[in-house]
Formats: sequence, C-alpha cells, structure tokens
Amino acid sequence: MMALVQNEWMKIFARKSAWVYMLLIVAIVLVAAIFYNRIYGKDDPDWRAKIQQEIKADERLMQKDPDQYADLAQNIQRNQDYLKYNINPDAHSNWHFMNNVVIPLGSFVTLFSVIVGSANVSSEFATGTIKQLMIRPHERWKILLSKYIAVTAYSILLLAVLLVSGFVVGLIFQGAGGFHTKFIEDSLDFNNYQIKEIGPQFFLKFALYLPSLVMVSAIAFMLSTLFKSQALAVGIGIFALFITNTVGGILLFLMEKYHWVKFLIFPHLDLSVFAYQDKLAGGVTLPFSLAVLAVYYLVFMALTFWYFQKRDIAS
Amino acid sequence: MELDHNIFFHLKFIETFMDQFRKYLYNTSLTESRDDMSEIALSVKGLTKQIRSKKIVDNVSFEVKKGEIFGLLGPNGAGKTTIIRMIVSLIKRTSGEVYISGKSLDEDFKGAMNEIGAIVENPEFYSYMTGYQNLVHYKRMSRKEIPEEKIMEVAGLVKLEGALKQKVKTYSLGMRQRLGVAQAILHSPFLLVLDEPTNGLDPQGIREFRDYLRTLAASGVSVLVSSHLLSEMELMCDRYAIIEKGKLIHIETMEETTGIQNNSLRDIIFTTDNSAMAIQAIEKQFDFAVSTMDSSRITVSAAYEDAAKINETLVKSGCKVYEIAFEKKTLEERFLELTNHGEEVENK
Repeated sequence: MMALVQNEWMKIFARKSAWVYMLLIVAIVLVAAIFYNRIYGKDDPDWRAKIQQEIKADERLMQKDPDQYADLAQNIQRNQDYLKYNINPDAHSNWHFMNNVVIPLGSFVTLFSVIVGSANVSSEFATGTIKQLMIRPHERWKILLSKYIAVTAYSILLLAVLLVSGFVVGLIFQGAGGFHTKFIEDSLDFNNYQIKEIGPQFFLKFALYLPSLVMVSAIAFMLSTLFKSQALAVGIGIFALFITNTVGGILLFLMEKYHWVKFLIFPHLDLSVFAYQDKLAGGVTLPFSLAVLAVYYLVFMALTFWYFQKRDIAS
Repeated sequence: MELDHNIFFHLKFIETFMDQFRKYLYNTSLTESRDDMSEIALSVKGLTKQIRSKKIVDNVSFEVKKGEIFGLLGPNGAGKTTIIRMIVSLIKRTSGEVYISGKSLDEDFKGAMNEIGAIVENPEFYSYMTGYQNLVHYKRMSRKEIPEEKIMEVAGLVKLEGALKQKVKTYSLGMRQRLGVAQAILHSPFLLVLDEPTNGLDPQGIREFRDYLRTLAASGVSVLVSSHLLSEMELMCDRYAIIEKGKLIHIETMEETTGIQNNSLRDIIFTTDNSAMAIQAIEKQFDFAVSTMDSSRITVSAAYEDAAKINETLVKSGCKVYEIAFEKKTLEERFLELTNHGEEVENK
C-alpha cells in the first residue's frame, strides 16, 4: 500500500503543474498582501483620541437630529467598545491579514485540489496507462485508495503552503501581531458585532473551511472516476464550489421555507457561516451540517470505489 | 550473480537428493507429477463473457506450456482482446477459470497476477516521467523483491540504458515498445501476455520484438500473444488457436500448419535449364503430378524424401538443377481454410 501511495505521489510531482499551483498560491498571497497594504495604510498611534472625537461628534448630532438616534447610539456603543477593549479599529498585523485575506484565498486551494484530484484518475484513462496499472497484483480498490490518499496529501500540502506563506507574507507586510489580540467581527448582515480574539477566530474559520475542501475534492474525484473525464469533474467541482458562494443566500432563504432543502448538499458546502452565528438557517446547527456532509461523503466514496472495482477496462 | 548460481545449484542438489529419498521411501517419483503441473504456464477453462444476451467470448479453453509462444488468431472483433483482458483481469469474467502457473485468479488473485507480465495494445507510459521513473513505478507495484540492478539489466536487454534518463515523451514508438517489453519482464514473470503487440511498429521494430520473444521463450517464459497479422504470427508462434465469433474453433502447432511432416505430399519446385526436358525425365521414371510454371521452373507434387530421387533422375538425364524449393503452406492459407473463408476468397 505504501508503495502504491509513493507511486501516486511521484506521479503528481513529476508534473510541472503540481509545482506551478504551489507557486501560484504564494504569488496570489503576495499580490493580495500588496493590495491589502495599500488599502489599509499605516497604524495611527492616536486612534484613541480620534475615536473619542468621533463619539463627541456623534453625541452632538444626536441632540440635533433625533431621527438618527438609533444608528448613532449603535455607533457610539461600538466606539466605546473599541476604547473599552483596547481595539484599534484600523489595526493590522499578520493575524489580521490571515483572518481577512488568507481565509478567502482558501478557494484557490480547493480549485487546485479539484484540478489535481480529477486529473489523477481521468488522465490514466485518457492516456491508457490505467491498463498498465490494473494488471498488477493489487486489488483495484487499493489502487484507487492510494490515489485518493496521494491527492489528499497534496491538498494538505497546498493548505500548508497557503498558511505558511500567508503568515510569512503577513509578517513582512503587516508586522507581527498578538495571537490573542481582540477585534470586532461584524455579523453577516452587519447589524451586529462580536468581540473576538483574532487567532482563535482564524483557526475556527480555517477548520470550518476544511469540510468544504474535502467534499468538493471528493465530488471531483468521484466524477473523474465515474466519467473518466477531467473536464466534467473540474467543471462540476468548480460549479459546486461557486454555487454555494453565489446562490448560498437564496438556498438559506429556501431552507427557512422548505424543510427538505436542508438535506441538499449545497447549503452545507460553506460552513464559514458558523464562525459568525450558531445556526445556518431554519434551525440547522453545525453537527447537523456535518452529519449531512458525512452521509454524502460516504455515499460518494462508496459509489466511486464500487464502480471502480467492478468496471471493465475495455478501451 | 555467481552467488545466485551457487545457491541455485545447491537447491537443485538438495531437491534431487530429496527426490531420491522419496523414491526410496514410497518407490514412486513425486517429481514427475509435479513437473507435469508446472509445465503448464497458463490454463484457461470455459472462459465466457456475456454482455446482455450476447456472448462475446463463448466457452474458450486452452493451455499454454512452459517456454511456448502461443498465438490467438482471429479477425478483428472475434474476441481475442476480450479473452486477453479477462486473463489479465482488466475485464470481469462472466464464467470460467484462469490458472497462472497453477494459481487460480479467483482464489489467489495476487499470487496469480504476480506471475503475469503484459503489454496490452500499445504500451502506454507516463510521458512526463523518465523511462527510469516509469520502470521504478512498476517495480514498486510488483510483489516480488526486485533489486535495483534488475532495472538496468532489463533496460540493457532492450537496449534502452542510454535513454533511461530521458522523459518518455521524447521516445520513438519503437523505444516505447521496448520500454513496454522492459516493464513486462521486469519482475521475471512466468507468463507474458501480449495483445496486438506489433501494432504500429516498423518492420525493424517487429523483427527486434520477435527476437526478444524468442530469447524470452528460450529462457522458459511462456508467451500468449494475440494478433490479426497472420504473417507476423507465423514467424512468432509455436502453437496457435483460432478464435472466430467468440469461439475457439481450432488449435494446432505451426509445424502442422506449414507441413514439415515427411510423408505428406507437397509441392516441390525445381528450377532447371529446361522445363520440357525435366518434365519428360520425371514422367518417364515416376507417376507424380507434374506441371510447368515457366521455361525454367516446374512443380512436382511429391513427398519430402522424393525430392532427392527426382533430383538424381534429372541430373542423370542431363538437366542442370539450380534450385529445389518446397512450397510451404502459409498460415494464411490454413487460416482461411479453417475459418471457411477460403471458398469465398476463391470465388472473388
């Protein structure tokens, strides 16, 4: 088994694309850091005085214009929290960079994992090397499993590249920051906020990102095995990735109305919502989401391995 | 290497000793029966593949002996490839059994597959890796202990040592074919299975390929090869089976086909300086069927030994004999005869 995984690992890295994707991730992080730096200039050492001024200005406005009372009161509350918890609203550090920029860049890791994962099986069929692979004294499911393990290991490597480059690039561009630095995290609808520690919040978001990576990669792996077509596997994999980002809101809305929508896979592919709130929508909690994903995962994997085990390799 | 030989020698010695001992004990030879078993490299029994109601391969049985090159002949679409792919388990069998050096594919899949080396159609490689990496890849997949030197040894055999560090995408088709042979024999398999191996090879490549097979067979490897190129198979095989519409319709040896048996009549062509004189001389002495081909060549239907007598007669009667040739029956003729397509061809 070890030898099989070793083979697959060798085949992944014998291709230039495997290295290119890693470099691309570093490059993307670098470009993101440059823009992030431009937008959020330098630290203002007098931020406390500035906020105090803002509070006073808001208070004066409140007396003049009682219609805006609610908005202004919220603003004052927020500013007072900045002072109370010693949170610089414009603070930037490598941990802020990780939290604001590196997490969204995770989509690239998913994208590259999908491409490499689906190419891994479908290219063996496309070039005919699958025949040479299957006439060896190994069960088919073991050969497929070794491929899955190698592809997963590659995804983990891409994640590590993202994390390390994010941390280092953040350190260079933004400077070091405390892991437990407090910051204000707005709710998803911007009507509310919570005070959180930046490091733990980053790792929470990161952990919530992982199930979607696993699921989207598994879908791509399954499709490339079932249909032997990389184009199809990548296409649908990316479709699954973006459908949650684009129509995710609509799905959550539908989930409130229709009971069965919560058993679809799509609303659960983006779990990052749980970093902001306890429930997705319609009473769906994190354990429920994970359970739904686990069932889909098992079904996908069972289907993939069963089909691969029994299929005739005729062409 | 020397050490290996020594060990082998010792083992052989011990084996012989044990056999003597057994003979003494039971007064029977166990070796004989065991040798009979290992003489069969591949045994296929009742192999059938059914897709829906159609039988693509129908109850095919045959055996390949040790060191034998066995051919599967048949027109395209007859089921040769399906048979081969069932043996190497690329395609699932509907029914039937396959034994490779006595190991059943059903009961001992890993053991049986470990004894197979195969080239299925054109050997495909990971073109983005070097030849060496490709061989290492397949070395790792074997369940046998293969020393590192074996890769170089095999590469030397197929004359690829110089190109091992190059990526396979730079290889010519002939080089790929040779790399295909290398990966198939890397783990010293008992049985080599080749499906349409000469497809796309140039004449020189085909010839080299044939030479490899001969060398391998001589060293005790058995070869199962399929092709629709009859002239190719005629030069390659010791024995062959003809597959038609999924059924095995005939098995015979190449010698039987090309007819080197002594007693049967065959066409002998005599090239002399004067056909008319030659015919006269022969008809005076024998009652063989004789016909004129042209002014210098005549055909006599006679047995193998008769050639010498005829020659003697011709020389005595003053003919100058330049050449005596036996008309060989080709595999193609035999094939058409067996598959009943001969009449159709003649009618055309």
